[in-house]
Amino acid sequence: MLPTYCPSCQAQLKVKCLKCESCGTEVNGSYDLPVLALLSEDDQQFILRFVKNSGSLKDMASQMKLSYPTVRNLLNDIINKISSYETSIDTDLRQS
Amino acid sequence: MKNKTIFEQLINPFTRVAGWQAFGFGLIFVILMGFLGAYNGIAFDGLIDMHMMDLSLLQSFLYLGIDLTSLVLVMWITGLIVSKNFRFIDILGTMTLAKAPFLLLAIAGFFTTAPDLSGIYKDPYVLFQSISFITLIVLSFPVMIWSITLMYNALKVSCDVKGSKLTVAFIIAMLLSEVLSKVLIYLFV
Repeated sequence: MLPTYCPSCQAQLKVKCLKCESCGTEVNGSYDLPVLALLSEDDQQFILRFVKNSGSLKDMASQMKLSYPTVRNLLNDIINKISSYETSIDTDLRQS
Repeated sequence: MKNKTIFEQLINPFTRVAGWQAFGFGLIFVILMGFLGAYNGIAFDGLIDMHMMDLSLLQSFLYLGIDLTSLVLVMWITGLIVSKNFRFIDILGTMTLAKAPFLLLAIAGFFTTAPDLSGIYKDPYVLFQSISFITLIVLSFPVMIWSITLMYNALKVSCDVKGSKLTVAFIIAMLLSEVLSKVLIYLFV
């Protein structure tokens, strides 16, 4: 699992370096992590499952042995997290 | 760990069961309550009320029907106010299943003899003549708490509301449901 928060101060991490495995070229900078990468592993698994089930919460509920509203609530929680990440990224962009 | 899971499922089965499935299970409990209530002389004449009295099968089911209708109607309106997207069937199903603990009181009626309350104003201790009656009253408290907890979790899961918003909405909805059920019982039974 990709670390997304600083183990020392809990601030959000940024990508500093990317490397090509083929020719060894390194690209340095300060890049934001994609919003989906900021989610927890469980949330990411949920999104993968959601896509694989063509967005059918009913199918997901039966697979996960949970009720339909519980699965819908989990999705709502993820939507709220994504919205708050996007808001904080927008705020950071405006400040910089 | 296993005991914790069982306890969690007892107070919030709606993470696994909701919608039509919960309504089906709940309906079985309510129908049993109606028959046993009429047979044992236990009337569920209010959202969280129970009284011992002679009652017909029709009365027993009318009380339960009014209780359930009041609860579902008020919780559905509450859902419309506090939540953006929820399904009516989830409110109907989970709230019906939340009434299930009261079946225990209907069953306890088999073993309960009501004391003669005609002289209760002269001698209040007449209540204590029947140990089974006292036991039923004592049993009714955890049953009520269990049922209210289920209703709270039913609203929480069905409408995806949390925190103080949930608590305030639930308390108001409970009070309104109780008042509505009492008014409807007074008018129709």
